[in-house]
Amino acid sequence: MANQADSAVLARGIIKQYMNGTFTALDNISMELNEKQIVAFIGPSGCGKTTMLRLISGLEYPTSGHLTTFGQSIQGPGPDRGMIFQAYTSFPWLTAQGNIEYGMKIMGVSKTERRSKAMEFLKLVHLEKFKDSYPNSLSGGMKQRVAIARTLAQNPRVLLMDEPFGALDAQVRWEMQEMMIEVIERENKTVIMVTHDIQEAIYLADRIIFFTRQPGRIKADMILEFKNGRRFAHKEELISQPGYVDAERRLFSMMREEIQTAA
Amino acid sequence: MEGSGKTVGGAESSAAAFQPKERFFELRHVPSGRWTVVLGIIGALTFFGLWEIGHYMTPESGRRFLPSVEQVVGKLIFLYTDKGFLYDVAISCMRIFGSFLAASLIAVPLGIAMGCFANMKALVNPTVSGWRYLPAASFIPLLLVWFGPTETAKMGLLFLGVIFFLVAMVLDNTEAVENALIEAALTMGASRSQVVLGVVVPAAAPAIIDSMRTMIAVGWTYLVIAEIVGAQDGIGAVMMRAGRFLNVDIIMAGILMIGILGVLTDILFRVLQRILFPWNVARRA
Repeated sequence: MANQADSAVLARGIIKQYMNGTFTALDNISMELNEKQIVAFIGPSGCGKTTMLRLISGLEYPTSGHLTTFGQSIQGPGPDRGMIFQAYTSFPWLTAQGNIEYGMKIMGVSKTERRSKAMEFLKLVHLEKFKDSYPNSLSGGMKQRVAIARTLAQNPRVLLMDEPFGALDAQVRWEMQEMMIEVIERENKTVIMVTHDIQEAIYLADRIIFFTRQPGRIKADMILEFKNGRRFAHKEELISQPGYVDAERRLFSMMREEIQTAA
Repeated sequence: MEGSGKTVGGAESSAAAFQPKERFFELRHVPSGRWTVVLGIIGALTFFGLWEIGHYMTPESGRRFLPSVEQVVGKLIFLYTDKGFLYDVAISCMRIFGSFLAASLIAVPLGIAMGCFANMKALVNPTVSGWRYLPAASFIPLLLVWFGPTETAKMGLLFLGVIFFLVAMVLDNTEAVENALIEAALTMGASRSQVVLGVVVPAAAPAIIDSMRTMIAVGWTYLVIAEIVGAQDGIGAVMMRAGRFLNVDIIMAGILMIGILGVLTDILFRVLQRILFPWNVARRA
């Protein structure tokens, strides 16, 4: 068994119940997620993948089980686990730059350092021209880039993403996915993302954990071996890899199984 | 773009784009800023026109009970120039703004606390909700027994008439703040006080100012009732005194004045909204 302190996330026998135990969202989940890995939680709607992410974020607590991040028991949210939400969470009363500075301000970073860091991360998400714009004047994709930059500026050890591109239209979503690969590579981050988009999972993730529906259990835990540990700047490159179609087919049939057993 | 719903003619007519008919009752059509002003003026002129017609349709003997627009406006100017009306207006404004400030200082923090903490809401809401159903005017006898015909009694009535509704509205405004904003701040490591002061308050602030704008209008509607309470001064007192002598023109001048002050208060809050929250303007959907 690996040293607990080395695992970005270590879960043992996680159970999460709602409504006084009458509804089980997660049933005996165990997993060990490594540092610098991109892991995607995937599964049909209502399979508990978002619940698992929220437990890791500390916004909710498991009913029972053991959950740690780098050996530390998770006892609430913290900037070591930055989270990006599906809903637009950039603060409308702050400019793009103000938003990015907000997280650093919470951490007590000095004003001059905040300013220079904010510029660096604005550049990273290609928003330097919009530093003084308020979110209400930005498009959905730009708002989401502000949220990503704000989270990254806190330098979290783990980046959590809950269907971050779910509210975006297909073209913007694709642009964001490619930008995300670039950003994750540059920042060398550990990432855990929730998605129900199979192609997004294959494109971004090194490893995919598939959840079943009601109660949420792990159906499959697969390393995308055909990628050979590589990440692709362009989606076309990935699709032309031998093994891509096979991985996609496997995930689609798993998804079909889950949907049919529920019906 | 060419209209493609119905096509008429051949290639020659393709240059002329289809022009939809302009209709007054166009569904959800947003008129231009200029046209909005024009329509507003037309509406107001219609109102004053009907009033004027009403005046001249009334038999000569009864006309003093429905004075004309120019008589009322003339009376209003006369009140200012000869009767020191400015003092009464100032006193009334002071009562409205003073009592409203006091009500806001309690209602806004309380409403925010209730909207942030469900325990606070459970503690306070049942008690506060009941008060909203009590007519403020029913407190007049009580206020008179407690305070006599004093300034406290008048301000107290205006205060009671506004505060319970304002609490409920601020509570709603606070609860309407998206959970995702709060959770985002928590995951960035914000403490509870940082979330309340740094996220909930700025997120709810524009809606709260809007609620205050609505509730100060209600305050104005209570003014005359409050100034019946043994008042010597104020717009309401001037109107009540005029009523005793059947001086309808002064009563209507008072109503007109309150209306003007109400509109000015509304504009004040809107300007405040624009200055305080420049970010709250959607430039792109």
